[in-house]
Amino acid sequence: MTDETQPRTDGGTATALPGDSHDDGSHLPPRWSIKRWLITTNHKDVGILYIVTAMFFLVFGGMLALLIRAQMWAPRAPGEGILSAMAYNQAVSLHGLIMVFWFLSPIATGFGNYIVPLQIGAEDLAFPRLNALSYWLYLASGLMVFASFFQGSTFAGGWTLYAPLNIPAFMPSIGATTTVFAIVTFCASVTVGGVNFITTIHRMRAPGLTMRSLPLFTWSWLLTVWMMLLAFAALLAACMILLSDRLLGTTYFAMTTDGGSVLWTHLFWFFGHPEVYIVFFPALGAMAEIFQTFSGNRIVGRKWFIVSMVLVALQSFIVWMHHMFLTSINLEVKTLFMATTIGISLPFDLMVFALIYTLIKGRIRWDTPMLYAFGALVLFIVGGITGVFLGAVVLDYEFRGTYWVVAHFHYVMVSGATALIGALFYWFPKITGKTYNEFLGKVSFAVFFTGFNLLYFPMFLAWGTPRRVFAYRPEYLVWHRIASVGAVILGISFLLIIYNLTKSLISGDDAAANPWPYSTTAEWAVSSPPPLENFPGTPSYASGALEFLGSDDDGSGAAAATDGGHATEHEEVHVDHASVWPFVTGVFSFVTVIGLSGLQVGSYPAGLEGLFYQATSVVGVVGLISAISAMGYENFTAHEGGFGETWPFGGVENTKMGMWVFLASDVVLFGAFIGASIFLRVAYGWTNWHPVPHNPIPGLVNTYLLLSSSFSVILALVAAKKHSRKGIVASLVITFVLGLGFLVNKGIEWLELFHEGVWLDSGVRASTYFLTTGLHMGHVIAGLLITAYLIWRAWNGAYSEGSGETLEYFGLYWHFVDIVWLFLFPLFYIV
Amino acid sequence: MIPDAIAASVLQSGLIPRGTRVQVFSEIYWVFLGLGTLVGAVVIGYMLKNAYKYSDRGGADEKERPKLGEMPTGGGKGKKLFLSLSLSAIIVISLIAWTYGTLLFVEGQTGDQGVDVEVEGYQFGWNFHYLNDDGEYSGVNTTGTLRVPVDTQVNLQITSDDVFHNFGIPALSVKGDAIPGETTETWFKATEAKNYTAHCYELCGQGHSYMEAGVIVMEEEAYNDWYAEQRASAENDSAGNIAAAGV
Amino acid sequence: MARTKLYTGIYVALFVIATMQVGIEQIGLLEESYVLALALITAFSVIKAVIVAGYFQHLVWEPRSLTYVMMLGFVGFLALTVAASYSIQ
Ligand SMILES: [Cu+2]
Ligand SMILES: [Cu+2]
Repeated sequence: MTDETQPRTDGGTATALPGDSHDDGSHLPPRWSIKRWLITTNHKDVGILYIVTAMFFLVFGGMLALLIRAQMWAPRAPGEGILSAMAYNQAVSLHGLIMVFWFLSPIATGFGNYIVPLQIGAEDLAFPRLNALSYWLYLASGLMVFASFFQGSTFAGGWTLYAPLNIPAFMPSIGATTTVFAIVTFCASVTVGGVNFITTIHRMRAPGLTMRSLPLFTWSWLLTVWMMLLAFAALLAACMILLSDRLLGTTYFAMTTDGGSVLWTHLFWFFGHPEVYIVFFPALGAMAEIFQTFSGNRIVGRKWFIVSMVLVALQSFIVWMHHMFLTSINLEVKTLFMATTIGISLPFDLMVFALIYTLIKGRIRWDTPMLYAFGALVLFIVGGITGVFLGAVVLDYEFRGTYWVVAHFHYVMVSGATALIGALFYWFPKITGKTYNEFLGKVSFAVFFTGFNLLYFPMFLAWGTPRRVFAYRPEYLVWHRIASVGAVILGISFLLIIYNLTKSLISGDDAAANPWPYSTTAEWAVSSPPPLENFPGTPSYASGALEFLGSDDDGSGAAAATDGGHATEHEEVHVDHASVWPFVTGVFSFVTVIGLSGLQVGSYPAGLEGLFYQATSVVGVVGLISAISAMGYENFTAHEGGFGETWPFGGVENTKMGMWVFLASDVVLFGAFIGASIFLRVAYGWTNWHPVPHNPIPGLVNTYLLLSSSFSVILALVAAKKHSRKGIVASLVITFVLGLGFLVNKGIEWLELFHEGVWLDSGVRASTYFLTTGLHMGHVIAGLLITAYLIWRAWNGAYSEGSGETLEYFGLYWHFVDIVWLFLFPLFYIV
Repeated sequence: MIPDAIAASVLQSGLIPRGTRVQVFSEIYWVFLGLGTLVGAVVIGYMLKNAYKYSDRGGADEKERPKLGEMPTGGGKGKKLFLSLSLSAIIVISLIAWTYGTLLFVEGQTGDQGVDVEVEGYQFGWNFHYLNDDGEYSGVNTTGTLRVPVDTQVNLQITSDDVFHNFGIPALSVKGDAIPGETTETWFKATEAKNYTAHCYELCGQGHSYMEAGVIVMEEEAYNDWYAEQRASAENDSAGNIAAAGV
Repeated sequence: MARTKLYTGIYVALFVIATMQVGIEQIGLLEESYVLALALITAFSVIKAVIVAGYFQHLVWEPRSLTYVMMLGFVGFLALTVAASYSIQ
């Protein structure tokens, strides 16, 4: 590990940025210490945490799958078999949820964490603590899923959570609420991670590493996180609305709400289709890397491969209604979505052909990673072809809800898992510094591939079986038996994989820095495992190939980064790698959710149980707010961006960019809430619907208040430019008072409505009004808490010396809240 | 959207599968299965061939291979790539366009002719309300068994009394979502007087696995007799009810 | 401070537009011609939003890419809302 200061410039200014670092092993306990894993913010550690945790959930989801296959061993009469009907429904639902949310995405996130910064030449992510926070929220959400099994019953309505089965009238168990909370927490984790990776990949690339020369795994991950950012915001909205129906008693998805059930399918699948690619893209990127390395060829049509991925990522947001062909949507829409669905399959054809042609004239070595990647491609082709069947609407009419769909998406999703296992073997030597057992690896592939096809192929032959049942026609018996046997074999292969990797981790041979001939990407140019700060010098592609600048002239730092010849000053800047607050935040998220899960349609259970839930809620919320505040107050220095390639966000400082990216996801969140209101209003009859508040004037007053508070934030910024402490404090206090005025005014309005007997459950008009403006109010309250903090800091002179960036970033948020109101006000008060 | 005139002429050309739901489905399904298997076999076969042919067996290597730390670039063969893409695009798009004609046929078929039945799903069974020619409730309803005449188009209006279900009769290739507060329309025509089973195809709760209904396809006359009998008893019932209410 | 003047002008304009939205309702245009009134009110909201984003959030002075990021989210909202609402017509 190097100890010298590394020069950085941010492409324009000549000031040194805090990009330099020391190996501060002193702050981070060694790897064998449990404490290290609780406080680490280093991207490689977090990556390992993600991968290991994801493997646990793979085992968990796999055991549920085995339970399903055991129940399917024979067509069962009621009460027969090892599972009761409700237990079976829970197993089916949680198998799907766990595999999609708690295994597939997180293991890919693990690789994204570990590998992507190495590939782009960054020493860590833009926001290391937020990265740790993503992980702890992920783990907390996974533990919520565990807990849900012990709260009566977990969610039992399928991973698609269709309405109205998902509301308390039909699924009253507390565990079901906890499951939905777990998804919400996972959405939060993904959003935080998305902001982080988008900022990092766009702004922290080595000099010379332009977008078009990014490695394909990084490209696939970049597109994945963009899709995550926008798609998960829609799922977040859907699940927040669902929670509101469950906890507070709004009636969005109630049986009696016109369009309520269909609304759920829109919101869910608007997320759900991009999710398919969110899961599959990292696998695709890993396949591309492995194919190139093990064939010794550069990928054919690289540029078009990237273009295809970008097209798929964009198109994935306009195909969702192909999951709804049998609902009451009209023929024009069906036609449109049939066309977009076929359109999205074409870029995939190109990518598949590109991978195949890459083999030609290669020197293909059949090491374990290549076996898995190659096998994954074969399986994906089968999955793709059977998916075209579903794109033909008339065929989809018959396949809907059958094992054809089950077989098809397992061929697609689990082929993704296959490639990711290939990736696990591929990067195992890099991550652990150990060599896995090649023979056992090959055996595991043979078992895996056999088990996979025995499990899923018979499902095509038994496709007439309805999904999610355990009573089927006797003629399918043999196929379901073969599938069950295949499931056991597939399970054994996972045990082999886990055994191989665990054994190798303990007693494997040391791995070389680059164990794979013909690999090209930067992670292979550093030791296995890489040092804390990743590189022996400043990585740069400016000369056309990877170099580590300054690695030879130790300490002098004379070899300035070649980004246009700016002189750079050197400053010993310390970079942090540890914070306990993300962990603490995760813990209290868990506590909060367990507490709130006890709330149902506005009230807690009676007696001791209710007392437990109430106390837990209070402890959780207080702890959560304290932990987040402590994280805000903590001094933490991270690497700055802008030292190399930054397209297209040059000149937008990391934190500012992060804020904007977050706001983009918030646009989708509010968009989905507003879209839900508009959709329900259309279903209700647009002009039959009248605003809930009788009078628009209080709303207008609130518009004035918010506009004025936006203006006073601007004044605070102007004051900061003038270095006027008093000006800053005064402007912020005005902002606070105006925001408080907004809340009071809103409170009066709500209280009046409550007095008239208009409550959240008084029909769909009241529900949409209270919940949508309530979400906005939540944003206002969060803004006021931050304002209070800023006033305190400003009073102590925090922003009058510097350039007031913090105030600017807060302003971005506050103006955004203002903008949202500009739409909510006419929608809910006037028209 | 294709103009109606073109749609009509394509529909009449005989190229587009028409007939009962079973006929159109199986015709399209087998074409897809045949072509799908062929394409799959060719592509995977080609993969395996190259995988074998270019396996590393040592020996001299003339080609310039990738080096660690090089700027990622692509290999050649762009032309071949686009040729394959075009080929696959032609296959897929023409297949889907072809089935689109049948979709228009299927969607255009609901309505004026045949028997109308409202199917209502509930946890965990099915109610069938028979409608008269004006689309009004005829007073005839059954639970758990759907009786329909043979060789007659049966129009289903599917809805739900509680959660989201899906009504399907696999042997007759008909299916539709049963959504509370909404009605989805579909149709089928049975060509044999036989008994079939309808299933629920959307997870709807504890009893989902057994949420079935019998479908009895009857000869025209037998159906008419049964229906007349049901009508009569329904009218008696309602008359009796009115009398009992003491009006 | 030229900017301060600009901000003040914008602030006043926003005030006026918000008032006009309620004005449309008060003069009874919603009853008279609902579609026209709805279009006007929506247009005013969009104008206000663009002004706040452009000047208060400084988007006009930032790289255009940030505007596109926000547009991406907004287009997603439009696609969902319009297609979903149209599908049940
Ligand atoms: Cu989809
Ligand atoms: Cu069901």
